[in-house]
Amino acid sequence: MEGHLILVLFLLGIAGVLKKDNLVKKIIALNILNTSLIMLFVYLGSLSGDQVPILLSGVTSIVDPIPQALMLTDIVIGICVTALALVLVQKMYKSYKTLSLRRIEEVSKSEHD
Amino acid sequence: MRESEIVDMVSRKLTPYILLLGLYLISFGHLSPGGGFQGGAVLATGVIQLALARGVKETRDLFPLRRFNLVETAGFFLFLLIGTIGMFAGLSFLGNFLPIGTPGRIPSAGFIFFLNLVIGLKVGAGVSLICLYIMEEG
Amino acid sequence: MGRIAKGAATALLVAALAVVLVSTLDLDSGPPADLKNHLYYHGSEQTGSINLVSAIYLSYRAFDTLGETVIMLLSVVGAATVLGDRE
Repeated sequence: MEGHLILVLFLLGIAGVLKKDNLVKKIIALNILNTSLIMLFVYLGSLSGDQVPILLSGVTSIVDPIPQALMLTDIVIGICVTALALVLVQKMYKSYKTLSLRRIEEVSKSEHD
Repeated sequence: MRESEIVDMVSRKLTPYILLLGLYLISFGHLSPGGGFQGGAVLATGVIQLALARGVKETRDLFPLRRFNLVETAGFFLFLLIGTIGMFAGLSFLGNFLPIGTPGRIPSAGFIFFLNLVIGLKVGAGVSLICLYIMEEG
Repeated sequence: MGRIAKGAATALLVAALAVVLVSTLDLDSGPPADLKNHLYYHGSEQTGSINLVSAIYLSYRAFDTLGETVIMLLSVVGAATVLGDRE
């Protein structure tokens, strides 16, 4: 049940990147896509136990710690991709004065003719 | 972009404690939940909320951008240096060459403590550098 | 393409992806437990840290963390280059 909800988030992220017209909303949908995959891996690792993987005294059945350690790098990758995308959107706004992708296409097509 | 007086004063009083919390999360990385990446994000939060409340110009006077650059590149080379020292001590690249003590105290995990410090400073400096670059106006 | 055609194409793609993902993914059982048992019994005496996640990404897989620091450096350089000179 929870796995299917995470798949719904993944599909919402894909639909958002394709359909939205505002550039900042596209970046938000890209971030949702990245985060949903991180959640899927950590969720699948948490199915085989129920305690935090820190070996204090009295801890018997721990959650799988390997997907959590691998997803730390993925979170930093999400930060870096979002930062570069926001920098590019800021440069585009400075030269076209609008954030709507359809208007940017119209302006650049009329510049070419 | 200077906010009202209340936001300005509260953020100025709160920043040293946020930076202290970040350093605590980094240094206790092998004993409790936390570590390099998490503590580095908290350090960057301390710098960014000061820039949001007081203005980017004053924050750049307090934390010069040149020092962030220096910390970031020095962190990368320190990581490589720690790895190469492990190679000289007889183990592989990035092998653990400091003694492993009793688990549960701070000086007990070999070189994990120093790697946590390097990564925490590097991630904190990197994220706050990106945000201070983006937040400038004009 | 008109707006209605673009909306229909997106909906078709998302529906096709949904059918493929739900029918081939097995979301009720996690990864096999051999590696988790090995880490539980030998992780604390091989690395000395009781936080198993830190022991993984700083001692068993420290090379991936080195690559991640390179990513961080490249992202800062890329952002500073595109934004122009800010002394």
